[in-house]
Amino acid sequence: MKSKIWKIIVLAVVIISIGSFLFLFEENKVDPRFGRIPYVFWTGLIVAILLVLLTFLGSRFFPHEESKKV
Amino acid sequence: MTGWLIFFFTLFLASLGFASYKSYSKNRSSDDFMLGGSNIGSILGFLTFSAALFSAFTFMGMPDFFRVHGVGAWIFLAVSDALMVFLLIWFGYALRKRASQVGYKGVAGFVQSCFGNKWAGYLVFISSFLFLIPYVAIQIRGISIFLSAAFPALVPDWGWSLILVVLMLIYSEIGGLKAIMYSDAIQGVIMLAVIWIIGLTCLSMAGGLEAGLAKVEESNAALLSLPGPKGLFSSPFLIASAIAIVLIPVSQPQFTTRLVILKSLKSVHKMAYAVGIFAILVILPTAFIGLYGAVKYPAASTADFLSSALLFDQASPVAALAVVGLFAACLSTTNAQIFALGTELRSLLSGSDKRNMRITQLAILVFSGVVLVFSTYMSNELVLLARVSFAGTSMIAPVVMGAVIFKNPPKSLLILSGLCLTYFVLSLLELVPAGFAGLQTDAAMYCILIPVSALIMAAHHFTQKNSHEA
Repeated sequence: MKSKIWKIIVLAVVIISIGSFLFLFEENKVDPRFGRIPYVFWTGLIVAILLVLLTFLGSRFFPHEESKKV
Repeated sequence: MTGWLIFFFTLFLASLGFASYKSYSKNRSSDDFMLGGSNIGSILGFLTFSAALFSAFTFMGMPDFFRVHGVGAWIFLAVSDALMVFLLIWFGYALRKRASQVGYKGVAGFVQSCFGNKWAGYLVFISSFLFLIPYVAIQIRGISIFLSAAFPALVPDWGWSLILVVLMLIYSEIGGLKAIMYSDAIQGVIMLAVIWIIGLTCLSMAGGLEAGLAKVEESNAALLSLPGPKGLFSSPFLIASAIAIVLIPVSQPQFTTRLVILKSLKSVHKMAYAVGIFAILVILPTAFIGLYGAVKYPAASTADFLSSALLFDQASPVAALAVVGLFAACLSTTNAQIFALGTELRSLLSGSDKRNMRITQLAILVFSGVVLVFSTYMSNELVLLARVSFAGTSMIAPVVMGAVIFKNPPKSLLILSGLCLTYFVLSLLELVPAGFAGLQTDAAMYCILIPVSALIMAAHHFTQKNSHEA
């Protein structure tokens, strides 16, 4: 189960990364705004928060364990 | 302000002295000295990783980047850092697993053992030396520009640099990596607190977020979108930057070593998301400072903008804290990098423990001298020079990845990384064309490095199934 969730998390990170850099972060786009915050900034903020959240989830569902102290 | 400055500096220096004293042990081995006893918890680990990562380059370079190039600076650093911390989850595990099998004294020694080839170690050391020295010099240069602008009659440029390096040498030579980590923790907390105080003050002086953004839109609307007014944040630039930053823990030894010396995998994982949160928290206020700069100092030089925004426009206690915070930020990154060079050198040495430790301590002294000299020749483009350092070291990432993933890593990765590193260096020296197909050198190198590495690794995996480890 852990392994499956981990794979879904990895897939989500890959999709968010590729999708953001190829489609979300468009040039010369200021609208739609969030309040007065321009498009690139609020979408970038959401992407960064999502990735950190996925890192947190990844740390919880990482399927491998350490066998021995380094 | 002088009174406040003396007060905060005394507190800061006393805490560094205490950190050195607590870390000092008379009968320490070179492992205790260079690797902090390899028993570091998640909180100290996260603070030392963050402090080493966020430096004068963040504190000074990022506000200026936001001011000059606009909101794309957020994607350039914050999104890339968020991606990088995700990689730590797997990479921390795979690295520690391999390190427990072959031993770890430094990345150079580690890859040398994994590849069974001394040139693998030399390649890592050369890459670290070539690109960490300028990176350290950038930090020192950054702080000296700022302090010279702030206190023109007090100490010359090189004087500030000298103070910083001597201070770093004293406490690192006394307490080793553990002292550096404790001081990183202190410096990380100071940096975060100070940058938020200044960020919020700047935001308020800009008239608040909405009013500030409205003013920026009137004066230079291109700052509010990609690629920014100077066209810097193009997609290839942002993607290449993201790759270079994601690979920092793989290719910059001060971070790789921190992953190994944490006491457990659980600590590494806790550290990973904590660094991600820290990244967002530390970069956000730099956007506020940049916004203020775009409103009030759109045409000023970097030094004038920073000295005004961080010092002269602030209340005396805040300005004094800013100086200490900047000094702390610079010191934490500088010491991590110079010490890492020492660690790398030691990992390649054979002989008695005592002799190796002497050589390493001497080497740290020499590296510091080189950095000091180099810092006087650096340009003021802090962020872009830092990026060159990230990109340069990332050329050896396939070697480290190969060492981590495979029991008998393919030697062709050494050739590939060696060639890409050589081309990258030659392009910086303008001896070969910088980039091709309309791409900058780093982006062009990644177009070769990533698919070819993937092909080599895939072919190796299928031809030597039994050697696949991680």
